Amino acid sequence: MIKHSYLGSKKAKVELPLHLMLIPGVIVTLIYAYGPIFGIVMAFQKFQPASGFFHSKFVGWRNFEYIFNLPDFTQVIWNTFFIAVMKISLGLAIPLLLALLLNEIVRGWFQRIVQTSIFMPFFLSWAVLGGVMIEVFSLNGPVNSIISGLGLEPIMFMAKNNWFVSIIIGSDVWKGMGYNMIIFLAAIVGINASLYEAAEVDGAGRWKQMLNITLPGMAPIIILLCTLSLGSVLNAGFDQILVLYNPVVYESSDIIDTFVYRLGLFDQQYAPAAAVGLFKSVISVAMVSISYYLAYRFSKYRIF
Amino acid sequence: MARKSVNLVVGTVLTLSMVLAACSNGNDNKQGSESPSASAPASAPASSQPSAEPVDSTNYDPLGKYEEPLTITQVLSYRPPEDPDTLKGVTPETNGYLKDLKEMTNIDVKYLWSVPQDQFQQKFSLAIASGDLPDVMMVDQQTFEKFKEQDLIADLTDVYEKYASPTMKKVVESDGGLALQATTSDGKLMGVTTSYQSPVQMGYIRADWLKNLNLQVPTTMEEFEQVAEAFVKNDPDKNGKNDTYGISMNKNFLINAWGFDARGIFYAYDSYPGGWLKGDDGKLLAGDIQPGTKDALAKLQSWYSKGILDKEFALKDENKASEDIVAGKVGITLGEWWVPNWPLNLNKDKDPKADWIAIPLPTVNGEPTKTLISQTLNEIMVVNKKYKNPEAAIKLANFYLEMQKPKYIDKSSPDYRGPNKGYVYLWFMPRLIYRNFLNDAFNAVNTALDAKQEKLDIPDDFLAAGDAALFFTESKKYLANPRDNVAWGIYFSRVAKDGGFGLSKKVLDSNTFVENEFFGVQTPTQVERGASLNKLIAETFTKIIMGAPLDDYDSFVSSWKKLGGDDITEEVNEWYAKNQG
Repeated sequence: MIKHSYLGSKKAKVELPLHLMLIPGVIVTLIYAYGPIFGIVMAFQKFQPASGFFHSKFVGWRNFEYIFNLPDFTQVIWNTFFIAVMKISLGLAIPLLLALLLNEIVRGWFQRIVQTSIFMPFFLSWAVLGGVMIEVFSLNGPVNSIISGLGLEPIMFMAKNNWFVSIIIGSDVWKGMGYNMIIFLAAIVGINASLYEAAEVDGAGRWKQMLNITLPGMAPIIILLCTLSLGSVLNAGFDQILVLYNPVVYESSDIIDTFVYRLGLFDQQYAPAAAVGLFKSVISVAMVSISYYLAYRFSKYRIF
Repeated sequence: MARKSVNLVVGTVLTLSMVLAACSNGNDNKQGSESPSASAPASAPASSQPSAEPVDSTNYDPLGKYEEPLTITQVLSYRPPEDPDTLKGVTPETNGYLKDLKEMTNIDVKYLWSVPQDQFQQKFSLAIASGDLPDVMMVDQQTFEKFKEQDLIADLTDVYEKYASPTMKKVVESDGGLALQATTSDGKLMGVTTSYQSPVQMGYIRADWLKNLNLQVPTTMEEFEQVAEAFVKNDPDKNGKNDTYGISMNKNFLINAWGFDARGIFYAYDSYPGGWLKGDDGKLLAGDIQPGTKDALAKLQSWYSKGILDKEFALKDENKASEDIVAGKVGITLGEWWVPNWPLNLNKDKDPKADWIAIPLPTVNGEPTKTLISQTLNEIMVVNKKYKNPEAAIKLANFYLEMQKPKYIDKSSPDYRGPNKGYVYLWFMPRLIYRNFLNDAFNAVNTALDAKQEKLDIPDDFLAAGDAALFFTESKKYLANPRDNVAWGIYFSRVAKDGGFGLSKKVLDSNTFVENEFFGVQTPTQVERGASLNKLIAETFTKIIMGAPLDDYDSFVSSWKKLGGDDITEEVNEWYAKNQG
């Protein structure tokens, strides 16, 4: 019997150094990504920094009860959910549309210019963009100049709940659309060109080609992005809302994160903040798992 | 992401308060001292009462030198030196003050760690969590209470009594014992600090606009409104454009307000949001829900609809609101004594014709409007229970006050200890902040100016020497050149008798104020419900001012009570019953 030891094999000679090189990365990940998970115990304690994790009093679900009993919590959850879902769905649909349209443009300088200018706002921070947006939508801003130029009453966009939420969602989609668009474009490029040639021989036009080749070819990426973004169904965009909102639009745009932020400002309430974090993570894991299962069930597609 | 933004906001607030502190305090908290002479740092200074304490006077010397070197540990919230002339290359470890301290008392200060200011709170929380505390620390009131509860800090009764220099006692007790009482429990002094009181609310108005429109300085609420309305409609700046409005305001007009707000209007109607007032039955009442609140809201609502207030105040923070003042778009602003130093001076830069005067809050019924005065503790010095020499902490505080004597801070003095010689006061702690430094400096500088002195002559035991010196130089500069707007900012906020502080002083001297009777730490329900209640107040009041039905206020009152207001009132009264005496 010949002993096949992996360590002695030729394969190991090539692979082993690579595996060894992984070790620091694995250790760092364990320390910084898995270690802090232990901090979850805070969510179940009356956490006092002086007593630390080990000596703080264990209070069970008290922190969760506290959070859920806060007077505005249902409204805040609903705001978060609504804003996040709108951002996710539009944030996928619009870039997809853009990618398909852009793909139809004859390749060249024009496509690159459009692509870059759509991608640009992605790099701006909300701290900067927020100030710009408040100016743009203010009573003396360009938008209202056009409106009053048309003979209509100026609108105080930032102080009207409906307008405010639309602006929040719209501007977030506008800011982020370049990123997903690039991913979709990459997926299109990855489709085998001979399929298009065959379709042309069969007499399919541009429209038919898009429906029957481009879209099915992109399906894995679309499903992947959908699934991943469902994980952020309770992330409605803290920094954006924080720089833009004001008391008048609390009822439509106070989200979990902004509320917890004001909670924390008042006193260092670490434990309730940890409870909210845990709550959000649990919902995220559930949403990702469900969509993973559905993706497999209906299109026999495994992401991982 | 969230963390980052939190830091951003906290950072902004801190920067702002730094700016404010810088403009308000001049040289921050440099005080004079009357403790025993220590002119020759190399030799141990003489005791303060050598004859009164015949037996062991040297042992109780406020700045007595240890025979063996003594180490005391601290942690440092690092800020770069403010003064551009600071000696290059100086670090917290080579700070001139530490060198002198070592020579005078043989104490070595060792920093366990040092982090930039914006990370300090986080790092300090970690240190608390790991139980790795330094020997002496400055903490806020909440932390102080927690430390006390957990028995982490030393009893300072004895060492304060024996080692605190006369200067230090004068500084700490300048509030009539309020701070001492707040840090004493069961007869034990657990920390040392000073207190300060919230500034008086007042108004500032463009006198040149009044003149342009032939109007008198308003005193009653009606006149105030007429003037404000005229500022909207009658083109007060005579530029032919309809581009001005009456009163500046920002979205933090009541809660956490610190300038360009509406607190003064609420006060005029006997409504004191955030304050706790003594009722007729001796119990404390929440200032938020006093009957006058509704009247104040009604007034503000009518002003909003008339265009007297900025249509978009709800979207603007203090910085944004100040831009309209600087740009010359607004004629009245409500605020505190420092407003001339920012942003009014910038408005004068932009528009040389601008002439701002300070006015008392308008009155509704003929009686002067009372401002709300709250007493607040500064950071509290505490000593780790494990540390063997708690008196060394007291000596550090003595030392710093000693170094604020006129001869050390006078630039022309041979003993001058300044930034250009490597002395950075920001890094040294504990620094006890003298409560009345503005008042004392105001009096000293005015006396000198009235007597037409060329040089400010202040006694050796003067506690606000640094501030007085700065105010005097700037006042001289302004009086020589009325176009110097930087000097005007300091002069009109701190020195002028009809300026910011001068008017505040009149208000205080004539007892035109109500006291906030509650100055304990936040009650449990305040901690739990504070964010919700503040949201409720901000949302309801802003909406009412912008046109929601005034009767929303009545349902607000019942929600406020139900959501925790009643519980808080009860807790505050429990505290009051316990601490009244």
